[in-house]
Amino acid sequence: METLARIIRLGYNNFWRNRWLTLGATLLMTLTLTMISVSLVLSLVVRDTAATIRSKIDVEIYFRDDSVEDGRILALAKRIEAQPNIAQTNFIDKQEALSIWGRLPINESIKKPITTAYNPLPRSLQVKAKDPDDIQGAVNAIEQADREQLICSECVSYGKNKEAVDKLISITRIVQRTGIFLSIFFGVIAVFNVLNIIRITIIARADEIEIMRYVGASNAFIRGPFIIEGILYGVLGTVITTLFLVIITKIVAPYTLAAFSVLGIDFYRLVVSNLGFLISLQLIIGVVLGVVVSSVSIRRYLKA
Amino acid sequence: MEEVLQIGSSTPPPVQQPKVKVPLIELRKVSKRYGGRFAVQDVSLVIYEGEFVCLVGQSGVGKTTLIKLLTKQETPSSGQVYVAGRNLSELRDSEVPYYRRKIGVVFQDFKLLPQKTVWENTAFALEVCGVKTADINRRVEKVLDLVNMGRRAGNFPSELSGGERQRSAIARALVHSPKILIADEPTGNLDPVNTWEIIELLYRINQKKTTVILATHNRQAVDRIQRRVILMKSGKLISDQKSGKYVI
Repeated sequence: METLARIIRLGYNNFWRNRWLTLGATLLMTLTLTMISVSLVLSLVVRDTAATIRSKIDVEIYFRDDSVEDGRILALAKRIEAQPNIAQTNFIDKQEALSIWGRLPINESIKKPITTAYNPLPRSLQVKAKDPDDIQGAVNAIEQADREQLICSECVSYGKNKEAVDKLISITRIVQRTGIFLSIFFGVIAVFNVLNIIRITIIARADEIEIMRYVGASNAFIRGPFIIEGILYGVLGTVITTLFLVIITKIVAPYTLAAFSVLGIDFYRLVVSNLGFLISLQLIIGVVLGVVVSSVSIRRYLKA
Repeated sequence: MEEVLQIGSSTPPPVQQPKVKVPLIELRKVSKRYGGRFAVQDVSLVIYEGEFVCLVGQSGVGKTTLIKLLTKQETPSSGQVYVAGRNLSELRDSEVPYYRRKIGVVFQDFKLLPQKTVWENTAFALEVCGVKTADINRRVEKVLDLVNMGRRAGNFPSELSGGERQRSAIARALVHSPKILIADEPTGNLDPVNTWEIIELLYRINQKKTTVILATHNRQAVDRIQRRVILMKSGKLISDQKSGKYVI
């Protein structure tokens, strides 16, 4: 027990004694963890964005005011929903259509003439396919469900945004792949930097290691303080990276929200809601990296 | 230089070889080669318990290599080194630290940790071995008194003279109560007064039954103490006198 306390104290003291080297190692560790975290957050954004875009793909059916009553549309909606490849349907009545109109980001002077009293907005039924790529299947399913022929063909709008969506999705895929490649690339560079600086901190204390060996310190005792240091690099790196991420995303969130309002990308919320995951991932990577690099670097000093 | 030898209050007592000779260190046809060059060549040697042995020769004759073979920093290219009946070549890596706790080593450049006080440097040798704190305090105090460094216990190495540094290093080497104390040119960086103080200290340590091996090229010191002298030249052992002088 006493020995363990001594090892921890030694590691802790070494950490503070060589402040500049420690600072360098901690910053490089922070840089590594930041690169990994940022690319992780970005890939989460890309994933969410892709999901948001895909969820926008649907088939919309419009009904003229004089064509059918709401009740029959709802019954039709139920039949459509029962089809195997349909995820959900959503009936929008005139009132709701008006409130959606009210929320549209367009000029007030265009919005204003349409009120409860004068509401030419049609009722509609939104149909979402289980597989957003299979819009044609959804259309077929709708036709099958429409036994009463309530729907006139020109009232069905589908696939109008499919081409644009497909393009967007293929872009997000490219972004995602590039992100993974870049994060691996920078990650490897960062790992080598951490490796080098930890080795420097160990070389700087070669004399101390030599003396420890002369006085009969066991290898475990010599290695111990360096492993404690490695853990401290990981923990401190995690703390700094997390603070950095939270603060930076908090600052940029209003701008990104404004820029990507349609997609609803909120970096800050994304970071905060994944904070536990991010912190544990950073801790694991940081501590494992610190400990592994320390133990590997010290090994050549431990030959008897 | 002659007057230096008069300094020191005590004169060395007459040669007292132990009554029953117990071999402590034995080298059998030991050679150590670095590349094609022999640093130590075909050395056979027995050192008995309680002996004071001067290992002499000019720089580069293989004294330090021989010492490294004894401390298991080097393994012989051929031949065997036995210490206390154990063949050092058969020591496992994990056993080496425990072996080193049984020998104390002192160097020309002291090898003290600059950020630690005299007390901490000495205590460090016990801390790394897992000795209890109360025990450490007792033993450090005792050994610092022995080397007459008690009053300097709170000082850092940079605040000490060369002689004081070497005495601190000796305290650290002795704090384990080793059976063997190996000193590799301990006076190489010291002036004549400090040199004699250190030699005298080693002498006193030897009186307390610790086997001392002193590697040096300081002729006065060797001649003064009149103990066994082993002379090396070009890696070979060329003379071994029971109570001798440094002759080349």
